[in-house]
Amino acid sequence: MKSLALAVAAVLVGFLTSAAASDGSVARVKTVQGPASIIRGQSVVPAVSNEKLFQGDTLRTGADASLGVVFKDDTILSLGPNSELVVDVFLYAPAEGKLSIVTRMLRGTAAYVSGIIAKLSPQSARFETPVATIGIRGTRFLVKVDAD
Amino acid sequence: MKTLLLALAWGGCLLLFSSCASTSKNTVVLQPDPDGKTGELVVSNRGGSQVLTQPGQATQIVDATAAPSTPTRAEDDQIAKTFGPALAALPEPPVRYVLYFQSASTTLTADSQKLVAEILANVKARQSTDLSIVGHSDRKGPRQLNYRLALDRALAVKSLLISKGVDPSIIEAESHGEDNPLIKTEDEVAEPRNRRVEVTVR
Repeated sequence: MKSLALAVAAVLVGFLTSAAASDGSVARVKTVQGPASIIRGQSVVPAVSNEKLFQGDTLRTGADASLGVVFKDDTILSLGPNSELVVDVFLYAPAEGKLSIVTRMLRGTAAYVSGIIAKLSPQSARFETPVATIGIRGTRFLVKVDAD
Repeated sequence: MKTLLLALAWGGCLLLFSSCASTSKNTVVLQPDPDGKTGELVVSNRGGSQVLTQPGQATQIVDATAAPSTPTRAEDDQIAKTFGPALAALPEPPVRYVLYFQSASTTLTADSQKLVAEILANVKARQSTDLSIVGHSDRKGPRQLNYRLALDRALAVKSLLISKGVDPSIIEAESHGEDNPLIKTEDEVAEPRNRRVEVTVR
């Protein structure tokens, strides 16, 4: 009986850990300089090192600020001062055929190094600006979006 | 009254920034990958598209309905001036270790056992709070079984790292089964290089 319970527990653990991340987080803040924040629904969270990010979060940096994050698929993204970017979609579960990363820049400057999603499924990695869409075929690039 | 309406329209334009795209000037610059190779970007909108393939190539977009400009070479000093702070904030790339197993088991090969010490040292050096363990299999055998085997291997590595003192709360273990291969193969092909666990220290 005990071994049955253990087996059930093992299956449950397996089930839970099969999700991209059990808490649904998609990335973590790794570098922060100056005032930077994460807008999540109605709340504003200060962006500090190791803070988790979720799908739908907006990242915002103030004057003289910068922010760098690493996604679960090893995509690396950073923002310069006075920048704003939305993590519209992040799905990373290759075993379920779910792969998608869509980030949307509203203003400012960004550096981007693509990760495993762009490698496994190039058509699933997209970076949007107010006037264009960037399709990413496994690479590193810079984007500047003037807000006026 | 007319002025007020205009002012309102302008205010709305600022608020609904994306709907007033014509006022936004964008620049996209392709850079070489960390490994020295350069990938490809396709920059497109309703006006057309441009493909960037050379390092330092840049295109400008001024309007959602006007095609991106013909690519030109961006000057290094201009890149540094515009993107310096963003580039300085780019986090270190995660380090990935690939561990291999003895056939049909969750026991590491001798070489891979040696790598474990390196992983532990790196977790310490980076003061990592984010360690992912992903199990992978080849495509030999049923897909569901491969998922399970790859998961067992990931969990074996997780237990091993915890036994060596890694904080369990920073570890996420999962399986990608046969769907994230290092070497792409047809179904039912045995490929030892795909039977692996990848440990990524972020």
